[in-house]
Amino acid sequence: MSGSDLPRSAPRIGARTTLQKLLSRFHFGITLFAVALSGLTILLAGVTALRGYADRNMELAAQLGAYGVEPALVFNDPVAAREGLEPLTHIPGIARLRVLNDVGRPVIEWTSPTADPAPMLSRIFFPRPFAVTVERNGSAIGTIEVWGDSSTLVDYVRLGLLAGLTCLLITAFGTIFLARRFEYELVKPLNEIATVAHDVRLHRRFDKRVQPLGIAELDRLGGDINALLDELQGWQGHMESERALLAHRASHDPLTAMPNRAAFDEQLARRIEAAEGRGGRFALLFIDADNFKAANDNFGHAAGDAVLVALSACIKETLRKGDFAARIGGDEFVVIIDPFDADAVAEELAGRIRACVSQPIALPEGQTYRASVSVGVATFPDSGNNATALLTAADAAMYADKLANRSR
Amino acid sequence: MALKHSWGHSQVLASLLLIGALVTTPHMSVQAASQSVVEESAGGMTRAVNRMIGGIASYARWPDGSTAANRQMCVVGTPRLAPRMAPDTPGRGSISVRLTPAAGVTPDCDILFLGRMPVADRRQLIAWVRGRPVLTITDDDAACIYGAMFCLNSRAASLSFSVNLDAIGRGPLRIDPRVLRIGSGQGGA
Repeated sequence: MSGSDLPRSAPRIGARTTLQKLLSRFHFGITLFAVALSGLTILLAGVTALRGYADRNMELAAQLGAYGVEPALVFNDPVAAREGLEPLTHIPGIARLRVLNDVGRPVIEWTSPTADPAPMLSRIFFPRPFAVTVERNGSAIGTIEVWGDSSTLVDYVRLGLLAGLTCLLITAFGTIFLARRFEYELVKPLNEIATVAHDVRLHRRFDKRVQPLGIAELDRLGGDINALLDELQGWQGHMESERALLAHRASHDPLTAMPNRAAFDEQLARRIEAAEGRGGRFALLFIDADNFKAANDNFGHAAGDAVLVALSACIKETLRKGDFAARIGGDEFVVIIDPFDADAVAEELAGRIRACVSQPIALPEGQTYRASVSVGVATFPDSGNNATALLTAADAAMYADKLANRSR
Repeated sequence: MALKHSWGHSQVLASLLLIGALVTTPHMSVQAASQSVVEESAGGMTRAVNRMIGGIASYARWPDGSTAANRQMCVVGTPRLAPRMAPDTPGRGSISVRLTPAAGVTPDCDILFLGRMPVADRRQLIAWVRGRPVLTITDDDAACIYGAMFCLNSRAASLSFSVNLDAIGRGPLRIDPRVLRIGSGQGGA
């Protein structure tokens, strides 16, 4: 009956992971992937966009330079050219400037004093200088060339990586928090179901039920478990009442609802043992209906049964607390009188039973019947110190009483 | 002395960055004066002078609008730096030259080149120019204090010019600020 001998559905697997750990691992993986992917995308898009801006920046710088050095080229004045280029030297991301006159001879050249942070990148992003022709009234009077460097790009990439890292950290923390929450929301109801199942299995608490849960699927599972528990509880209750009924039937007489011979034997043995233990006494009454066979024959079995029921009612009425009565044969009843304080108690009880029995009994077919009983008394340990001797003594005393009644 | 005023008359072309560059001290212009390079050959100075006059004229805007139109230059007095005046303009447009005495200056002169001449003549011509759209250039006033707008100056083997902003401010002519800047840097030194 206990749950331990139920068959196991599957053999146990060595290392099991918890749902929480599993979810946590999945969440982290997905988040890491998403953040890395978006970060990389943004960085690449940013570098591409920045490259476009840098190109335009170089172009603008070249145009500005062309405007600035134009009079200097007209007047063939290197110092003025230098001054004309001056605003360009403040623009970040310019590595080198050169102005050529109309015959292609360099007029002025400027190189940024700050070193290029990544010459390789510069070469990739700005392989050629931006050249703009300086014109005056429609004729070319010179050329200005602008070389870009990677400083702005490097700054952007550095900033982008830093921002990306920060985002990654923030997102990681956020995701861990959210995953925890999610796990909690999911694991808590599962644990609740598990607790109920465990309680039912271990402590046979069939009255336990799963509370309504917030997640629909789990709530359905909980509802099914509850229905199952309802059924189990029903079976359990039915089984228990059935068992009680069977036990009662085994030890009681169905007609009079009094304990039967088997129950009496058990009870007697127990009383003897108890009395021996405390050195006490008790009495045994043996009651037998007089002329019961004749009543049975004259009025029928239904009438006999009515007489027996009436007899048993009288005996039950007479009983005191602690006394025990049983029907051990067709019309034979025994009463254990315990506690047994004085010898007079047995006679008094016997008298009361006789008086009760002598009242007219209404038979099923309308007649009345006056019954009488013969009663024999035996006391423990005076009449016998074991069950058989005691019963024999009481039986003998009853016969003596019956003979005396007949002769009366 | 005359250089600090009348920036409001500057050319409309003045870009913000350029003005910014004017205000800030350029760290490269440590040289006192910017100078046109003069070729070391016979007539090198003449070519340089003609180029400079043409350049200045090309950056001047007359009230009639066009910069590319043909301009009449009237030469008064004796030019000191170039014996033969033939201004060399970049791109479109040209300048025709007419030698004339001080009394022969007429309103069709767009450019007045003042060579060496008596002080009274010069003063009279400057007074005449006032309020007229006439560009005045001289090569006989190194300090640029006698009222001509542009003053050419030869120093060692180079040629430079300075600007009299007061003179420019008085007339209706518009001069490209980039040119003013070159002339100012030189004249201020």
